[in-house]
Amino acid sequence: MTREETIALFIANAAKVAAEPIHAADDGQFQRALDDSLAESVTIFCPGITEKEKAVEIPPDKRTEDYVSASACVDEADAAIAETGSLVFSSDKGRPVQAGLLPAHHVALVSSENIYETLDDYFSTVAASPPTNITLETGPSRTADIELTLTIGVHGPGRLTVIVF
Amino acid sequence: MSDPTAGIPFRANAVKALQDGTLRHAMRNATETFAIKRSEAVAAVPLEEWREEASAMRLHVLDNLSDYVDRFEKKAVKAGANVHRAADSQAAREIIASILRDRSIGKVVKSKSMVSEEIHLNNYLQEQGVTVVETDLGEYIIQIAGEGPSHIIVPAIHKDRSQVGRLFAEKLGCDYSDDPEILTGVAKKVLRGEFLSAKAGISGANFAVAGSGSIAIFTNEGNGRMCTTLPSLHIVILSIEKMVPSLADLPKFIRLLPRSATGQTITSYLSVITGPRASGAATGAKEMHVVLLDNGRTEILSGEYREMFKCIRCGACLNACPVYRMVGGHAYGSTYPGPMGIVLTALLEGMERARNLLDATTLCGACGDVCPVKVPLPKLLRRLRESRVEKGLTPRFEQTAMTGFGNAAKSPLIFHLGQNASRVFWPAMKRLGLYQTLGRMPRPASKTFRERVS
Repeated sequence: MTREETIALFIANAAKVAAEPIHAADDGQFQRALDDSLAESVTIFCPGITEKEKAVEIPPDKRTEDYVSASACVDEADAAIAETGSLVFSSDKGRPVQAGLLPAHHVALVSSENIYETLDDYFSTVAASPPTNITLETGPSRTADIELTLTIGVHGPGRLTVIVF
Repeated sequence: MSDPTAGIPFRANAVKALQDGTLRHAMRNATETFAIKRSEAVAAVPLEEWREEASAMRLHVLDNLSDYVDRFEKKAVKAGANVHRAADSQAAREIIASILRDRSIGKVVKSKSMVSEEIHLNNYLQEQGVTVVETDLGEYIIQIAGEGPSHIIVPAIHKDRSQVGRLFAEKLGCDYSDDPEILTGVAKKVLRGEFLSAKAGISGANFAVAGSGSIAIFTNEGNGRMCTTLPSLHIVILSIEKMVPSLADLPKFIRLLPRSATGQTITSYLSVITGPRASGAATGAKEMHVVLLDNGRTEILSGEYREMFKCIRCGACLNACPVYRMVGGHAYGSTYPGPMGIVLTALLEGMERARNLLDATTLCGACGDVCPVKVPLPKLLRRLRESRVEKGLTPRFEQTAMTGFGNAAKSPLIFHLGQNASRVFWPAMKRLGLYQTLGRMPRPASKTFRERVS
């Protein structure tokens, strides 16, 4: 599978599980996608660990360090998996993995070179010494515990935006 | 718990369930939906190949289980977790209670775990003064209703939206609504507060990874992630057979478990946790304990029913079972319902207690056909029925009738006489107030098969 095909498969599978994937071709598109996604957020948490996270511009009055009360979290996934449309976050580099879980809106950034084709491709890279916490996130939080009626956004975010760049 | 030697009154339970229209409707809706979703999810994948591989891997693990458990323990300890081995339910309950007692923790949030149901953990902790808050929406619903789960994946499958609405209005003091979205919102708000204030989280594990000492938890709601990352103490309870050799083997099961359970390609969340929070890290409980439960498994694994422990608890056999579909999980009166539940109950709690559950199967084989790891459920159920006869635990009437039939079938003369007699007397007996039992049975044919073909 070529890189382009892997990216396309990831985006198609992420869309199937009710995530909102956006493919940004350049800096301008990336910034616009980010601004559009975060337009309605009152407070935004961004850990600022990776280069992409550091490049995220958030108005000072919206930025918060408290992810528990934030209305949105913007962070970069360690990896993504095309087979399932999953994002991978891990506790490496001091990342609070739960930050993407508590706010109602999660905006995940994915570097296209970090997209693995299959689950096996990803898990074989971490099998020898996995970080303390690896979380695969596939679509928004959901339940069907009442009469199997699908309800989005139970404990985790009700909205998941994925920006591939 | 009730008297362990008294059989579960399955027949009485089933009659009650069959008369409950709301339950029948809820069960039909749920099991049919799940069965259809599963069929759709496996239609485009090489299912047989995956089942073979997964089955072989599960067997390999069971063949070498004590090695894998030792390896898991060593790796988990190296990663900083405390590992405890519990021979039985009481030992497991007490290990967990004492961890909480030593730290003066009075409240825990809990992510759904069937093993915790198996050891009746919640009751025990509550007796010790610990408040247990179930956080999976379905578990939360049945917890405040004071009931047990009726399905291993969707515990409140037996309740409809208006019942949940009335329950929430009564117990939580909110306005009545029968909108699942509003009800989910109510539970989310209550439970968010619990997550953020709890000092300890208890979870089960879908798999334990021997090669790295990790545990894997699948959830859709995100409650598993909350229970394992927000409180400073995380206790995992899991049964020993859930080992997989390496993280590289996990994808095999990621592909099969959600597809078989809910028809999803993967659940919304999958957490793989290896030890407590590392120094300088910002994720994870500061202290992690893993309780490995045996509860008779090592002994059962040396016998003829060992393949039962290939089971990965997906619930597909429940949804496929014509008996489960009609009566729901509570009629089984056991922790685990449905075909896998009958076998597990017989193995874990004994034949005396499980003997009546063996009537809760038609031996149609649907459970074996859908099992993602090829547990030979029909074979195990049939073998357990034989064992019930060998132990003399079938009803006296059945024993006498079968012995009588056996003798009659040996003699062509008696057999023929019996056939003719039944043709004369059966219709008369059906009219004689025996309608309840006989009325459901077919009339004997006016001509026997032999008479028709000869």
